[in-house]
Amino acid sequence: MTAPATTPITASPALAALYVYGITPAGVRTPRSPGVDGAPVRLLTGSGLCAAVSDAPVRIRPRRRDLLAHQAVLDELAAQGPLLPMRFAVLSPRPDTLLSQLRADAAHLSRQLDDVRGCVELNVKGTVVPGHFADLVRRDEKLRNLALRTRRRPDYEANVRLGEALAHGVRREARRAARDVLEHLTPLAVRTVRGTTDDEQVLSASFLVRSADEQPFRQAVDARARECGGRLALSVTGPLPCYSFVDPSPSPTGR
Amino acid sequence: MITYDDEVVCAPRAGTLYDVLELILDRGMVIDVFVRVSLVGIEILKVDARIVVASVDTYLRFAEACNRLDLEHDVRSKTVPEMFGSPVAKTIGRAGAKRTARSLTDKVRDILTPEEEAAEEEEALPREHTRERAERGRPPQRPRTRPAARPRDEDDRPRSRPRRRTETEDQ
Repeated sequence: MTAPATTPITASPALAALYVYGITPAGVRTPRSPGVDGAPVRLLTGSGLCAAVSDAPVRIRPRRRDLLAHQAVLDELAAQGPLLPMRFAVLSPRPDTLLSQLRADAAHLSRQLDDVRGCVELNVKGTVVPGHFADLVRRDEKLRNLALRTRRRPDYEANVRLGEALAHGVRREARRAARDVLEHLTPLAVRTVRGTTDDEQVLSASFLVRSADEQPFRQAVDARARECGGRLALSVTGPLPCYSFVDPSPSPTGR
Repeated sequence: MITYDDEVVCAPRAGTLYDVLELILDRGMVIDVFVRVSLVGIEILKVDARIVVASVDTYLRFAEACNRLDLEHDVRSKTVPEMFGSPVAKTIGRAGAKRTARSLTDKVRDILTPEEEAAEEEEALPREHTRERAERGRPPQRPRTRPAARPRDEDDRPRSRPRRRTETEDQ
């Protein structure tokens, strides 16, 4: 248990390697939050764009502190205007590489900045509420019969079968509710990106929402939560930097 | 008795770092001439964090709860939280789920905060949040049943679990 499960990776040995937080239009204020590993954040400006960077730490690991630092720097930038957030742990080998990248990609980056201008990302997750099945058993004749049969002749196998059927039923209900939530929220957003789901978390979606629409959006989530709270527990996270609404790799055709 | 509090279920939870983890790690821009440091262990973290403790144990708890429903008369019972706290559920279900949650927690904690100085105690992310996530799959421990469930929560601490029981169940 004492052996760490991860080998820390040594970052690029180059002295001047930079940790890159995000890209904004030129003219933003330097974020005051400390960056990853406590390093001060500074801005590199070129071609009408700004990249928020700090000296890259010797090792990068996804520590809570560093994830929060990444997030805090981006929050500060996002509060000032459009922002293209980088994924955690993106480094640029040298400042001049970064600046030439900004130059080569300026048009594409500016277009993306326009796409997220005035918008925030809201992430909505929904998890299965397991206590729901009493009602389900009464409504669903098959389940009800299975339950009655199991009760008359209880044994281990029968209980497992019944439990499995109930678990599936509950999940199916939650999935249905999740689809319903998506249908209601999608029209309120500029764009929607779905995330990975599993048997427990049946809804995971990010919504690009105009800042002005954030409150209506939240109210809509509240309304859905009241509607389907017995089947699906909803959570909203945000406003976030628009992680889900930038091209992961902005210049596919290269330079 | 324990009542099922609709309000708690309905109110959307405020997001935690856990909720944005996948965004920070999987979304966002990566520029090809830049280097994305490969974070060893992060894949494991993401997979593990999604582990759902759904299994025969869960099924049996469902069945047990269902068997206590009044199916003959359509009584409007709101839900059945106490069902999961029944003695049967306790004997059958717990240990396996706990074991999974604990090893998961430890692994994630190791990944996120390897060795490291004592100052890293505040790095509570893996423990708190992963547990929280893992527990979504485990109805009995939801904070929803709050005051009444206190003693049971205490039970749940892995360390308070009798060692012998685990070994028995392993066989």
